[in-house]
Amino acid sequence: MTQGRQSGDKTARRSPQGKAGKKNAGSPGPEPVLTTGAGGEKAGKKDQPVTLVIPEPPQDDPAQKSTPGRPFWSGTITIGLVNVPVRLHTMVRDQSISFRLLHREDGQPLRYDRVCTKDGRVIPWAETVKGYEVQKGKYVVFEPGELKAVMPESDRKIRIEKFVYYLSLDPTYFETPYILVPDRSEEAYSLLVTALQELGRAAVGTITLRTKEYPVVVHVYQGGLVLTTLRHADEVASLRSFEQLTGLPAPKDTELALAKRIINELSGDFSLADYPDRYQDAVMKLVKMKMAGEKIVTVEPPHPEQAKELMQALQETIATLARK
Amino acid sequence: MTGDSGRVGKEQSFSDLTPVLLTNLDKVMYPAFSVTKQEVITYYIRMAPRILPFLFNRPLTLHRFPDGVGGEAFYEKDAPKKTPDYVDIFTIPGKSVDRQLHFVLCNNLDTLIWLANLASLELHTTLSTTGSYDSPDILLFDIDPEPPLTFDDVIDTALIIREHLENAGIRLFVKTSGKKGLHLVVPLSGGHRFEEVRAFAHQVGKTIARDSPLVVSEFARSRDPGTVFIDYLQNARGKTMAAPYSLRATAGATVSAPLNWDSLRHGIHPEDFNIRTILSENEDPWRDIFDTRQTIGR
Repeated sequence: MTQGRQSGDKTARRSPQGKAGKKNAGSPGPEPVLTTGAGGEKAGKKDQPVTLVIPEPPQDDPAQKSTPGRPFWSGTITIGLVNVPVRLHTMVRDQSISFRLLHREDGQPLRYDRVCTKDGRVIPWAETVKGYEVQKGKYVVFEPGELKAVMPESDRKIRIEKFVYYLSLDPTYFETPYILVPDRSEEAYSLLVTALQELGRAAVGTITLRTKEYPVVVHVYQGGLVLTTLRHADEVASLRSFEQLTGLPAPKDTELALAKRIINELSGDFSLADYPDRYQDAVMKLVKMKMAGEKIVTVEPPHPEQAKELMQALQETIATLARK
Repeated sequence: MTGDSGRVGKEQSFSDLTPVLLTNLDKVMYPAFSVTKQEVITYYIRMAPRILPFLFNRPLTLHRFPDGVGGEAFYEKDAPKKTPDYVDIFTIPGKSVDRQLHFVLCNNLDTLIWLANLASLELHTTLSTTGSYDSPDILLFDIDPEPPLTFDDVIDTALIIREHLENAGIRLFVKTSGKKGLHLVVPLSGGHRFEEVRAFAHQVGKTIARDSPLVVSEFARSRDPGTVFIDYLQNARGKTMAAPYSLRATAGATVSAPLNWDSLRHGIHPEDFNIRTILSENEDPWRDIFDTRQTIGR
């Protein structure tokens, strides 16, 4: 089959953009809903620089130590007639541990096959087409060319349409951040960074990554530019659709005062370093132990207090039964 | 690399006191009270001196809750595969299946611990023992209310039955079922047949139902709203009842609790007798139940 088929199939797998939405790739994304009442207050003061209160990640954060890999996209930020050539690097690394499924007997990795649900035969790629389920068991079939015709073209442009106050953006819609680095365009890049920084604004627009068009926001972070893809408006549920949240009772003054006092007392600086992934750390430790040939004992002792109770009960009951 | 290291069970051994290997002790069995399997096992160990005499040589049906109350559960009449050596087994030909049935007998403490570790929260026993399996040594009245009647109405009915039987010189014992009703039990001397015991229990129910507008004695009316049903039908070969001090699979971790007749007063609830409260009861109201074996219907 054609090359286009191959690249189309790849998008179905996990792409660096995260999970691909189910919507038709060709449909224009709705205007992102980004402004919130709370953020709007700060945005109201015109041209005032807005200080971002984002804590710097701790220096010993392992994610920060790792050096950026190769860029996976290069193109230009396009603002009207101005172009700033940039390259895109991934910023978020999924640190969760993944395992290969092995055959217990011989330890060999297993692979997945495309198996026909009717006759159980393994089907080669060349004999596959895509189907969209319109009702249970009924599919509308697409040949590869048909989908390709409506896919947005990747023109290697980050098209900026507007500038907004960064703090007016609703983080609910933020999906995946990427790092933008200058591509032999340090001066233009630096100009954009400084201008956005001093105005406290961010650029909003669109990017096409592989076969999907995303609304994006570009903002200044740690002296550089970060592009964040945004979720489409219809991908996020509204709290207003929850009946339980309508007509909440107003709290009593005394209770509110008490609640505020507790909150004030518990207020402090937030550091993500305080929240390590304990499961991952434990698994990595086990991996290292296994590599070193250590025997791994998985017997977990019960809580000592409860175990003591059980032991004591056992001793007493055995004594009682012996007396009879 | 082979995968044999991947499946090491979390077994906890108390080898000097019991050969039973305990597993998944932290598993929550009763979510509402956060009662773990460890607590269930501890409960059964503590109650063993009261439970074991009753269970001796009495074929068991296990009611297992591997994922606790609210999870999937199953009854098990046949002894599980890998039943350890310390468990006594009673083998009889199955009635509906063309093979032998192997009943578990809880004849020692280790078996009781093993059952608790299998998450067999409920222990159901037959009304006869292995020595004379076809002849009941217990008569059972199983009394349950249909709303809007309540436990208080069950108590009233139980007291009427007691009065009837005591007038005939028969002593009977009472326990909560652990669910909505009461179990009344008459310990029997040898030689009774299930049919005659069942007929006797039915007759008692009919007599009381005739005088009381709330009591029904027939299965067909047992689900009528606003009635109390005196169920005599469990008096049959192979049928079972929850053993005294058996836990029940209820949200409140209730126990099928033997009671003194004096304490059977309006206002008590089956939920009052649960895994946490029953341990503080100092006395076993059913202590001498088999010292008073009686003959009925003759």
